[in-house]
Amino acid sequence: MKVMALIYGDEKTWEGAGDDERKAVYGRYRAFGESAGEKVVGGAELASTSAATTVRVRDGETIVTDGPFAETKEQLGGFYVLECGSLDEAVELAAQIPGAERGAVEVRAAHEEEAS
Amino acid sequence: MKYLLLLNNDVEQWRAWRNLSQEEAGRLRAEEMPRWTAAMSWMSEQGIEATGLELEDPADARVVQVRDGEAIVTDGPFAETKEVLGGYFLAECKDLDQAIELAQRIPLADKGSVEIRPLVEQ
Repeated sequence: MKVMALIYGDEKTWEGAGDDERKAVYGRYRAFGESAGEKVVGGAELASTSAATTVRVRDGETIVTDGPFAETKEQLGGFYVLECGSLDEAVELAAQIPGAERGAVEVRAAHEEEAS
Repeated sequence: MKYLLLLNNDVEQWRAWRNLSQEEAGRLRAEEMPRWTAAMSWMSEQGIEATGLELEDPADARVVQVRDGEAIVTDGPFAETKEVLGGYFLAECKDLDQAIELAQRIPLADKGSVEIRPLVEQ
């Protein structure tokens, strides 16, 4: 099964991090990627929510607003798509994602057939 | 430029969906399918390459936090919001305007929202 692991954290902390700190964090993500190996089938790092745009259609009219759809204390900063035998396995993997230490990782099972 | 389109569905819609019989759910899915197909055809006309996933009910989500080396697992979803993630598209678009054009063609934009997030290019 495919599982989406959503990584939430305080983006202000990340924005305020120095080069050395960033390098260290990227190094830990690389290490996670290497240890998880083929179980990682996708993923990406997102730019800050200040670059987000939200689109809604109401009564046939498109409404475009700047910013994320909801203001939250911690923001979605990236995700992985994991290929796992079960949601429990995904939870175990999620606990190894560096972002779980400061923020949180939400795991969501995907519907069996892919959306594209 | 790569964009992540987060397809958010209203919490009430998720709730309503849970109470449907399999036949009703199947019928509603089938009813909506032409709009999804239209959005997909538009993407291929525009030469937009995309991957995506549809997610299962957020009631089954789990949240993992590691504190002092210990993993704490709670029921999710993580954020208590009026709309909850139902799936995503990861799309290579010309620019933000094209991503917005795509977003407004996604059926979930009518009930919930589509949040567009640019990726950090490695």
